[in-house]
Amino acid sequence: MQQSAVDAVIRGLRRAGVSIVCYLPDSLFKELYPALDADPDIRTIQVTNEGEGAAICGGVFLSGKRAALVMENSGLRASVEPLARMGLGAGIPVVMLMSYRGDMGENNWWAVPHGITMEPVLQALRIPYVVEREEARIEQAIVDAYELAYSSYYHTAVALSGSIVR
Amino acid sequence: MKRFDCMTKLAARLENELVILSLGASVDEWYNAAPHMREASLFQQQLGCVTPQAFGLAAGLPERQIVSLDTDGGLLFNLGILATVGNEKPKNLFIVVWDNEQYQSIGGPKTHTASGTVDLAAIAQGAGVKHAYTARTLEDFDAHCEAGLAAGEPYIVVAKVAGTVQPEIKRKHSDGREDKYIFVRHVEKTEGITIMGPSEHN
Repeated sequence: MQQSAVDAVIRGLRRAGVSIVCYLPDSLFKELYPALDADPDIRTIQVTNEGEGAAICGGVFLSGKRAALVMENSGLRASVEPLARMGLGAGIPVVMLMSYRGDMGENNWWAVPHGITMEPVLQALRIPYVVEREEARIEQAIVDAYELAYSSYYHTAVALSGSIVR
Repeated sequence: MKRFDCMTKLAARLENELVILSLGASVDEWYNAAPHMREASLFQQQLGCVTPQAFGLAAGLPERQIVSLDTDGGLLFNLGILATVGNEKPKNLFIVVWDNEQYQSIGGPKTHTASGTVDLAAIAQGAGVKHAYTARTLEDFDAHCEAGLAAGEPYIVVAKVAGTVQPEIKRKHSDGREDKYIFVRHVEKTEGITIMGPSEHN
């Protein structure tokens, strides 16, 4: 990621009022994680798998603080169980920001499943999402994801792809 | 050692804490053992989510004591949270694991702890949670509750309890959504904050 894209993500999280970020590091967001760690207004919590991160974010929601789950889109698959139970069972929302592996331009065979499964999994869970490929759209996409999540009390997701992460 | 008796001991020590608890019969037992904590308890039906949610709540409300009432099956579902708690070291998280060595709510098939070789407290210690203990008597459990609620660092007690359910207890009628609203309104009232506020006029 370019520094300008990293800055745009952090501006979006700040405007959305996010103070806690749970993440499992990945390669496409490589530059984002240390920037989040270094941000004085954001507490980062590194997790062992994205499902655990989703559940922690659910707990943060209950505290009145705002959290984000930042991950590679493969983490969506690891998160399906807690997302289904919290979102559909209790109306506890999680906002996700994920790198889109397996999109057009993917150069790794192992990432192909991530691209094939991401949107169908989001749709199966009825999670509203946007895929952004232009840096100029990042900040507002993040803000909008929080607006909808806190109106619907349901999950939302922003996937970043294209030149943002390449 | 009966879980309901343990709950009664723990409940007597709670007043302003917030509780996240696991699924199954322990929900109805806690509903009866701690009637004064009903609004302050989030009754969840989520295997593997209880301690992570409690930790998230503890991270968001660092001045409030949070209690996680997890289970052997629930914790085994997501052991990774122990490593995260070990690393993050929340000062306000007390974790109880009701270890009845079985998946009680579906009729009692054994969990991995039934073999006698899997020691959840030892796993927690290995993950960096220094205060991780196993309690086998009511007195011992009560002492760990006293210590754990005042520890100022993560504290886990694995309560080895019988696979029985307290007879003739009142069933909780609410579902996950109603439970969430009750809990959130309680947090809002006691913290003086807004979590689920009004819609915009536009």
